[in-house]
Amino acid sequence: MRSLSSVEDLAALRQRLAGRGERAIPTIVIPAGTCGRANGALDLVRAAKRELLARELVGRIGLRVTGCHGFCEMEPSVLVAPHGTFYPKVASEEMGRIIGAAAQDRVVTDLLFADGEGERIERQDDIPFFARQTRRLLGRNQEVDPTRIEDYLASGGYAALAAALAAGPEPVVAEVKASGLRGRGGAGFPTGAKWEMLARQPGRRGKFLVCNADEGDPGAYMDRSALEGNPHAILEGMLVGAVGTGANEGVIYVRDEYPLAIRHVSMAIRQARALGLLGERILGTDLSFDIEVVRGAGAFVCGEETALIRSIEGKVGEPRQRPPFPVQRGIDGKPTLINNVETWANIPLILEKGAAEFAAVGTQGNSGTKIFSLVGKVKRTGLVEVPMGATLGEIIHDIGGGPVGAAAVKAVQTGGPSGGCIPAARFDLPVDYDALTAAGSIMGSGGMIVMDAHTCMVDVARYFMGFLKQESCGKCFTCRKGTQRMHEILDDITRGEGSPEHLQLLEELALAVKDTTMCGLGQTAANPVLSTLRYFREEYLEHIRHGRCPAAVCKALVTYSINEACTGCGACRRACPGEAIRGASKERHVIDSARCTKCGMCVTVCQFGAVAVA
Amino acid sequence: MDTMRGDTIGADAPDVAAIAAAHRGSRAALIAILREVQAARGYLPEDALRAVARHTGRSLVDVYAVASFYHSFSLKPRGRHTVCACLGTACHVRGGQQVVEALSRELGVRAGETTPDGEFTLETANCLGACALGPVVVVDGRYFAKVNPGKVRRILSQARSGVAAPEAADGERALVTEAVCPECGRPLLDAARPIDGYPSLQVSAQCNGWRGRARISCVDGVLDGAPENAAALERVRLFCPHCSAGLNDLLRCGECGVPTVSVLAGDGALVQMCGCGEQRVRRAEVEGAGARREIAQLS
Repeated sequence: MRSLSSVEDLAALRQRLAGRGERAIPTIVIPAGTCGRANGALDLVRAAKRELLARELVGRIGLRVTGCHGFCEMEPSVLVAPHGTFYPKVASEEMGRIIGAAAQDRVVTDLLFADGEGERIERQDDIPFFARQTRRLLGRNQEVDPTRIEDYLASGGYAALAAALAAGPEPVVAEVKASGLRGRGGAGFPTGAKWEMLARQPGRRGKFLVCNADEGDPGAYMDRSALEGNPHAILEGMLVGAVGTGANEGVIYVRDEYPLAIRHVSMAIRQARALGLLGERILGTDLSFDIEVVRGAGAFVCGEETALIRSIEGKVGEPRQRPPFPVQRGIDGKPTLINNVETWANIPLILEKGAAEFAAVGTQGNSGTKIFSLVGKVKRTGLVEVPMGATLGEIIHDIGGGPVGAAAVKAVQTGGPSGGCIPAARFDLPVDYDALTAAGSIMGSGGMIVMDAHTCMVDVARYFMGFLKQESCGKCFTCRKGTQRMHEILDDITRGEGSPEHLQLLEELALAVKDTTMCGLGQTAANPVLSTLRYFREEYLEHIRHGRCPAAVCKALVTYSINEACTGCGACRRACPGEAIRGASKERHVIDSARCTKCGMCVTVCQFGAVAVA
Repeated sequence: MDTMRGDTIGADAPDVAAIAAAHRGSRAALIAILREVQAARGYLPEDALRAVARHTGRSLVDVYAVASFYHSFSLKPRGRHTVCACLGTACHVRGGQQVVEALSRELGVRAGETTPDGEFTLETANCLGACALGPVVVVDGRYFAKVNPGKVRRILSQARSGVAAPEAADGERALVTEAVCPECGRPLLDAARPIDGYPSLQVSAQCNGWRGRARISCVDGVLDGAPENAAALERVRLFCPHCSAGLNDLLRCGECGVPTVSVLAGDGALVQMCGCGEQRVRRAEVEGAGARREIAQLS
């Protein structure tokens, strides 16, 4: 493909690509993001190619390998476009039947999705998991092969860039302001206001735009999916940002744990450069902007703006005091604007739809949609996109299908280590920045970890504190030592060695760490402790007073035993690494508690649910 | 003294010198250099850190600070296989900690350590971003979903025999779905110039004084674009269009006997393509560095 020299060139190319008719023929769409690949999506791709060749259907049936569609639990899955037939958990051997049916405009009924005992559902859009979402961003992932810029262009890509170039800097910033978009990284700072600040900075030495893809919150993976599935949307968002703010350099900082995202985004940048959509004098205009990928090296604190900048500069990622804010002095001392991946992905949408239509979804002060990673103890796990202001209950019960087994959902954890746990009684809360903060958690980047009766809240608090203790950079004494002390206390409680005074000490420490640390990591470090103490104090007291873990999680407080469901098959006896299980064949086995290390092996090998933990 | 010091630069660690030179003037150079040195050496030994300091002009303290701050860097030798258990929140609430304990028990080492025989390094990660599949364990780049202590032994035995085994077994015919240059890692498949409806492999070719771009079908390996008389890969030398690394293998096609072309397929398998239409799969250990190592051993 030749480099494009004008906006008209771009429009003509888009029209030519869209007119090729590729999108009109039935197409086998296979999601192959990291989670899809982990479940064998690439095997399906190979099987599909083989079948298409063998049946001489090349050109009559298309094949599109895409990023993640969100229903990760059902992967490897196949979607037949444009009809939208959805096949979950497809085995390679079934590919022939699916392709044969697609060629004759039929569906393979017995491979369709069924919810439990329910009827089989043919189309993806009719499955509750999808039907109840508003998939403005995620919906695009199934339209494009992320390694082909042609797909992105054919589905209307880079039109927002053309619109921005036609409008000019101030109207672009005004449009983003009017959309009401707030930073999707967690804090919810108004994006338009941030852009305006950068636009006002003198830029003689140049200005930076940064895409923060250091998605460090455990339990959140929306950004990975966006980079893997539709990288050009991020590039286009940043290009629009360059038009609006006068920035000339861009950096996408991706965490090292996301190899496929790094590969796809690097490919996208090379393709955009080759087409003249990045570089000097883009599309023949005065806009010059290029983007570089910088890989992180595994440090949670680098998600913090000032630490991120130092890491981009190749230094130790320690935060520094603000002001000066990055927008005043950032990378190499130049004005720098940092937005999260999902924030950038929303920008093309705003330019295409216009601010008013963008803001028509969501609530006052919280416009647009938000993607959450709905994971943990919930029936349907995956990525879900809902309008801001949807309630927690709608997300967990209506989309997620509620609890996995018999155990009721107890709480949901949002916002990662900086967030908190919200009890099921408050699932009527709307999901927006302000409501979640008021409830003692935060929106965060979008992790939503569901917890049920088998999750111990003290253990969760201990887990997060252990995480923060490890990830504290150590610069502020109170964060370094405070997280360590809180972890020790929580550890004592989970071992049944806590006292009621410990709870008071925890609260004191929590406030001290919150008030006397410099960056977001320390200032929010106490949230997991404070929110669990606020809503689940009873569980703490149960550990302290009675040495009992109600969820049967805390190892020191539980015992393993075998109940009457035991058939004497001997599977646990053979699997037990401590040789703590005895029993004759076909007779009920017994666990010797003196030798039992509580490793859980017997529970996982027992087919009859005969091992009880209490 | 100065001359002596000058003499030793590059002489003691030529690999580090080359890596540092390639990154001169680039942003975040130190982190990128350390990453590449670790990929080449397996870890960051003291002499490599000293060499990096010399070649970048940063103090050894600076280099050590960066190397010890980030979790991706290891200052200790690592095993042949890396087993990484995810301890993200979603994995944790589904029993990730028990999986780590089971791995630790099976391997006889704690997280962060390497087995005495140098086979396995056990690591934990804060979150690998595959939360819907938790608990997740990644072995040499391959993801295992919904792991419990009972599955650990099988995963480790798979690791010993090579987890990157593709769908097709050794020696079977394969179709290339994704191909990157084994040397520079950049993509070779070009969707804009399809052959038989599939993206073709773009290569630089050289033959009897002719030089130019050629295409290879990813379906059957037939070369397109080179002069007629050069249709057999035997007489054509192929190069990566990005980095100019030679793609011809010393390994010969079992069917027709001409040298094959090596590319890395999406699942980390090394696929040997040949103009006679036979594409044979050879197992590579892992994607990236490991596969590169295997290519080096073949040639």
